[in-house]
Amino acid sequence: MSTTADLAALLPLPVAIPLAGATLAPLVARIDRRAPLVVGLLGLLGAAGVLVGIAPRVFGGEVISHYMGGWVPVGGRAIGIAFAADPFGLAYALGAAGIGAVLLVATVSELGDLGPREIGGYACLFQLLVAALIGTALTADLFNLFVWFEVAALASYGLTGFFLERPIALEAAFKVLVLTTLASFAIFVGATLLYANHGALNFAQLHAAVAGHPHTADMVALALLICGFATKAGLVPFHGWLADAHTAAPGPVSALFSGLMVSLGVVAIARIALQIYGPVGGRPVLGLLMAMGVVSALAGAVLALAQNDLKRLLAYDTVSQMGVLVVGFATAVPAGVAGATYHLIDHALYKSLLFLAAGSVLHATGHEKLSELGGLARRRPVPAIAFMAGVAAIAGIPPLNGYPSLGLIHEGLTGSGRHAVNLAMLAAQVITVAALGRAAYLAFFRRRDAPYEELQPQRPGMIVAFVALGAACLAAGVFPNWILDQVAAPAAASLLHGQVYANGVLTGHVVLPHLAVSFDYFRPGELLTVAATALAGVLLAAGYLRIAEPRPIRLLRALHTGSVNDYAAFAAAGILCAVVVLTV
Amino acid sequence: MILANYLGAAAVFGVGLYVVLSRRNLIKIVMGLSLMEASTYLLLVSLAYRRGSTAPVLESPPGGLSMTRLARGNVADPVLQNFCLTAIVIGVAVTGVFLSVAVRIAQHYRTLDADRVRELRG
Amino acid sequence: MSRADPAGQARAHAPEPIHRPTLALVLALGVAAALSAALVGLPRERAHLPAIARYAMEISLPRWHITEPVSELVYGTRGFDTFGETFLLLAAVVSVTTLTRRREPRQSRGGEERAGEREQAEVDPAGGAATPAEVRARTAEREEHDGDGEEDADSDSDGDGDGPDRRENPDAVGLGVPGPEDAEAMSVVVRTAARAAAPILGVIGVYLVAWGYTPGGGFPAGAVLVGVVLLVYAGFGYRRVAPFVRPGRLEAVELAGALAIIAIGVGGLVLEGSFSANFLPLAAQPDTILSGGVIQAFSASELFEVSTGLALAIFALLAMEHDWSPDEEAE
Repeated sequence: MSTTADLAALLPLPVAIPLAGATLAPLVARIDRRAPLVVGLLGLLGAAGVLVGIAPRVFGGEVISHYMGGWVPVGGRAIGIAFAADPFGLAYALGAAGIGAVLLVATVSELGDLGPREIGGYACLFQLLVAALIGTALTADLFNLFVWFEVAALASYGLTGFFLERPIALEAAFKVLVLTTLASFAIFVGATLLYANHGALNFAQLHAAVAGHPHTADMVALALLICGFATKAGLVPFHGWLADAHTAAPGPVSALFSGLMVSLGVVAIARIALQIYGPVGGRPVLGLLMAMGVVSALAGAVLALAQNDLKRLLAYDTVSQMGVLVVGFATAVPAGVAGATYHLIDHALYKSLLFLAAGSVLHATGHEKLSELGGLARRRPVPAIAFMAGVAAIAGIPPLNGYPSLGLIHEGLTGSGRHAVNLAMLAAQVITVAALGRAAYLAFFRRRDAPYEELQPQRPGMIVAFVALGAACLAAGVFPNWILDQVAAPAAASLLHGQVYANGVLTGHVVLPHLAVSFDYFRPGELLTVAATALAGVLLAAGYLRIAEPRPIRLLRALHTGSVNDYAAFAAAGILCAVVVLTV
Repeated sequence: MILANYLGAAAVFGVGLYVVLSRRNLIKIVMGLSLMEASTYLLLVSLAYRRGSTAPVLESPPGGLSMTRLARGNVADPVLQNFCLTAIVIGVAVTGVFLSVAVRIAQHYRTLDADRVRELRG
Repeated sequence: MSRADPAGQARAHAPEPIHRPTLALVLALGVAAALSAALVGLPRERAHLPAIARYAMEISLPRWHITEPVSELVYGTRGFDTFGETFLLLAAVVSVTTLTRRREPRQSRGGEERAGEREQAEVDPAGGAATPAEVRARTAEREEHDGDGEEDADSDSDGDGDGPDRRENPDAVGLGVPGPEDAEAMSVVVRTAARAAAPILGVIGVYLVAWGYTPGGGFPAGAVLVGVVLLVYAGFGYRRVAPFVRPGRLEAVELAGALAIIAIGVGGLVLEGSFSANFLPLAAQPDTILSGGVIQAFSASELFEVSTGLALAIFALLAMEHDWSPDEEAE
């Protein structure tokens, strides 16, 4: 038993090690311009190392927790802050540390030529962001969750506006600031309401207080928390900042934002809605999430289809993917939740890959508008292959990783009788394939006879990152049942058994019930669905290339005025709707 | 009637939100957000208040109480005061970043009008 | 260098859309009402303190030997929140210094830089030419300086505020002289007041951190000490504070403070088996400078991080240059 406690005591280290790296980065920048990135790499690998050490126990279906400073709960009430590793949080934390390290390797190639002080600041913020993501994944305390959310937010501001020579980077930073600050108010007030009502911050204590019979204040708090984290996740109607931020940030930062930081919102929503509030009788929490997810999945895909900017297109696709994730979690059945956890990891892998490819295109050519690109498959074969691998993974083409996770989400939807939602998911899938197929054609395969005025050489670090992420996409697609057994099913067990998780948080150790989720790779129905959506997507892309922008899409785009007032108004309207849905 | 404070905080929150939604000047938007931030301080301190309580400080307690008696006695909630300190630090930090971004926008766009700072749209 | 149609005129003011204030009012009222609905149902001033708040009060003396439960929570029992907050502040400071940084020489020109140049031309077609308002302001400024009987307009384009042609303080200028104040220091009244207040504030700052068991601690102390620096800056001008606000040195102290906070947390893990646990001996009396064990060390490290971090951010903002975008005045 003492080994469990000793192991759990290490839980703060995956946060503290990258923080130490972040602190050292600006200092070592004075010695050598690449040194901060090396320190960053070491910091993230150190964090990943500790997490890997904890992993066998946790992925074996256990929850272990530790109270900082030894302030363990007294009579079930905790003033101390707990870090709890459950399979769900640990999967996200490991992904953040591992993919973060790969992105830093790519950064050496792409931004290694910048000035030393710039790189020092960049490496510092990058590590602060990853450390905060790990903190949000592991914490079991509502106020501590808010603190890590804010650390991630503040680090993201500097990274969004990093290229000061690009006006749009600063415009984006301002919009991110306004919307994220509104989100932080929502989360802060939500947490305060819960504390004032129940005197509780610990997730286990909150679960005991609200899971049975929530008051009005609890439901308003839930609405505020969901809206705050939905802003981070970029769900419609809180998505105004997302596309802008991704357009202007450096390539590896866009990859970090889209692959990992945005998912933080979904991770927190899943924890709060499923683990803490649990199946709240009669209140349509899951319905609200399902609606937000479906609208995001469709609107994001349609907006992506119409974009002319490569990174912006990928960003809107992230909105769509986050919608798919939330739909998966909102099924609240084992297959759907396990599929969504699986998809969370998949998305982190292939979206990082896609954004790195897009970033390297911009870095090499100086262009990111699709209308100005073209012919890159011949001139830059490596990013072209990486991009196509990412597109195939999103399209769910076996043996890549999108296939099993999307299949499980579809299974979760049909299994729980939500056929209409499943149809919407399939439609979103078709449009997604079309959007990315169109982008791939215009950027890489379309003929471009005029040479680029300047082409930066391809550097090895970027190739290492492409290979690592691509291989991970392939591995995650080839061994679906291993991932399900080891990661996704235990994670679903932790999310769906909030009471057990709460016991683990309070007592320091608990074994989760076993959930059997399996995936039949060669089920004809699923293979047929994938083939049909991919084919329909390609046909849609081909058709869309030939027509002018249809009126509904033009109207949808016109709603995105670019004015920060309007985006804030969307968010306020979203908060209002959520409160009304959950309380009335 | 501490409820008046609660509702006052909600009202200030609404005023701040109105500023954010309706003012186009970027600095005014920042001011609106600061107003919302301030309303959360008011809310926290009001929620911490207990009728007839003293500050949660044990040094030289009032009314001749011993320190240990006061620790079990009627005091304002120290946990919420802790949160309020955190919120203030966050407010300062965010405002600093806001101002540096606003200056850079003014340099590039030569305006602080949110309707003219929208190269990214659609 | 005079371009007739600057960006401001090409994109003339669009009239405010009528829907915006109305919609804003409806939404703001709605959100305030939703909040009120939740707040009405909360426990009020007669409710019992939450159990964990009561517990925090009760352990303050026996477990931490400290008479200030808020400090106990901030740096002790819930010190991990403050640990995160330290890095929140670091993230903010580094974000500010990153966003206000000057151009550095780069080894190669990436595509982002070329894209940036194109985008600059798009948002500002005049390529940095001044708008009529800016031309007027700059002409007025130039006339002010020419009126001093000094050199031509070029010498005051350094913009730093520490140019050699500026007066030290405005005392010699008669009352009622129009035009902007261009002296570096402020008048004798302000300087005298600052001389009197600065040492008092300095002592208060040190007191706040040293005796953190009465209300205080590293955060407020750091803020007060930065206030002293700002007071001196406002009263006497940049030259008097310049020796204290060298970014390189400040940054080193700031990061050392942050590292010390990590070290304190890890020290608890190594020596006591739990991150941010107390591993220092607690003074027997609650009223000494060493009361509170690790709380005091945490608070003192926080002082270094906060004061230098805030100073860095503030002076980075003040020293911002116009070097990332075209501007016809900037050489």
